[in-house]
Amino acid sequence: METPCMPALEMSPAVHATVVSDRREPAPGIVIVGVRAPQLAASIRAGQFVMAVPPSGERVSTALGVYEVEGDRVSLMLVVVGPRTRELALLSDGDSLALLGPLGNGFDCDSLGDDVALVAGGVGVAPMLLPARDLVARGARVTLYYGARTARALVDIALFEAVGATVVTATDDGTLGHHGYVTDVLARDGARHSAIAACGPSPMLRSVARVARQLDLRAQLSLEETFACGVGACWGCVVPLDRSSAQAPKFPDAAAGESRDYVHARICKEGPVFWAHELRW
Amino acid sequence: MVDTQPSLATNLGGLLLSAPTLMGSGCYGSGEEYAPFIDLARIGGVVLKSVTRLPRLGNDAPRLVPVASGLLNAIGLQNPGIDSYLANDVAKFADRPCAIVGSVAGFAIEDFGDVTERLAARAEIDAIEINISCPNVAHEGETFACDPKLAERATQAARARTKKPLIVKLSPNVTDIASIARVVEAAGADALAVVNTVRGMSIDVDRQAPKLGNVTGGLSGAAIRPIAVLAVWEVARAVRIPILGQGGIETARDALEFVLAGATAISVGTGNFTDPRAPITIADGIRAYLAARGCASIEEIVGAANPGYLARR
Repeated sequence: METPCMPALEMSPAVHATVVSDRREPAPGIVIVGVRAPQLAASIRAGQFVMAVPPSGERVSTALGVYEVEGDRVSLMLVVVGPRTRELALLSDGDSLALLGPLGNGFDCDSLGDDVALVAGGVGVAPMLLPARDLVARGARVTLYYGARTARALVDIALFEAVGATVVTATDDGTLGHHGYVTDVLARDGARHSAIAACGPSPMLRSVARVARQLDLRAQLSLEETFACGVGACWGCVVPLDRSSAQAPKFPDAAAGESRDYVHARICKEGPVFWAHELRW
Repeated sequence: MVDTQPSLATNLGGLLLSAPTLMGSGCYGSGEEYAPFIDLARIGGVVLKSVTRLPRLGNDAPRLVPVASGLLNAIGLQNPGIDSYLANDVAKFADRPCAIVGSVAGFAIEDFGDVTERLAARAEIDAIEINISCPNVAHEGETFACDPKLAERATQAARARTKKPLIVKLSPNVTDIASIARVVEAAGADALAVVNTVRGMSIDVDRQAPKLGNVTGGLSGAAIRPIAVLAVWEVARAVRIPILGQGGIETARDALEFVLAGATAISVGTGNFTDPRAPITIADGIRAYLAARGCASIEEIVGAANPGYLARR
């Protein structure tokens, strides 16, 4: 199947010295931090990410998807899972925060057609607002399939509706929308869509890939992985990718016994967005 | 106080560095990945990712596990192999405004000779580091650095095939690093990189399985700094060739510990993953430290806390 390449970087990334302008906690453990970052706001595109330098100077930096972009404000959504995210969650107005970005290759909204299913699990919803806005702006119909553990963890549904998306929800505990996985709803109702774009935990993305195959739809998946550098230097965040993918890094035929039909692509550099049918995971 | 700024220039076994800060192999790509974030003219140089005779796809994911005060990694020497590397990659290093050190890894003694000769023959490469201490390959990666005889033969093999400065990267996973250092010095090394990562592992208690795809990995970051400082201290008392100190350096004061223990230059690896501006703040901090003590050059304080080192020079 011929698939276009994800859009390449248009602007060189940089270190952005930003100042926190606002902070809110829409659900326990989920924090949205807004910063003033005019250059980043002007250059970042749907599905790209930033690395947040830890204010303490300890521990490696943290990869975060960009949530909102308006004017010179950029916001980041994070879920507190460990010491690195806890530190970022404690930021408040006026604090400084260094961000590296924009990084990676984002969603290719132009090849998603005109009736797009966006699928998000948990804070995987963060990088979905920009493509929702972009897709609606070019006349596409957008449905956000949004799943989380419980109703309280489904944040900012009204914001997605405000940009013109229809929101379909699912919760593990049945407190809002479908009782079960969001991918169950996608499998049931998704046949009418032109393509899928998804972000969330790995098990959900694998499930999206399966559903996409069943529905004969193409899917762009934004993968989640532990990054060290975030800029393509350390090769720590790889995924096996079809050699014939336009995103596959050039690599010679491997040694005897190792020659395979895939190469290791860096999620931070060639990704984080890949076509589901090109992944060999 | 001296009138002029103290000099950070140093000589690592014939490799002349404008600053004592090298970027550790495997952590910095070829430098171009970090060029958007810092001025590469302000670092001493980049030690390139290790290259092997044949292409290697590297280990299965996951390759990284963040742990307390450090990072476990098991990349597995992913690289395109020396043929492709010479044809497609090396020419791009010509315009780097800092030293470029090629890194060679191998699975047989002759790999160190053959790959070193071909890489060192290129004008873009200023020096060679042989990585005889990679802990993350299935067999024989680290064996060379843990066996004095193999360490000697790997060093001799590389030495025989290049006149460029030869750095040998030692493993901390040995009982007596000083004895290995002596053998490698006698075999013709110009400098020693001390140290590579410390072997480690982490287990997912929910899945009841190792977290890394490779099961075991190499630990880097602040967690290993005291181990690395001690290794530099011990090696500095055992040899006369210069030492490239590395292991968990994040700040100027961390770097100074290594210099005072006897390192002529230092390497930053995992520290770049916290903040890519670290090498510049480290260099600036060392300069301020020297100025405050009236030192004209970093060379004046190498080994200053290690009487055993000073007695040998």
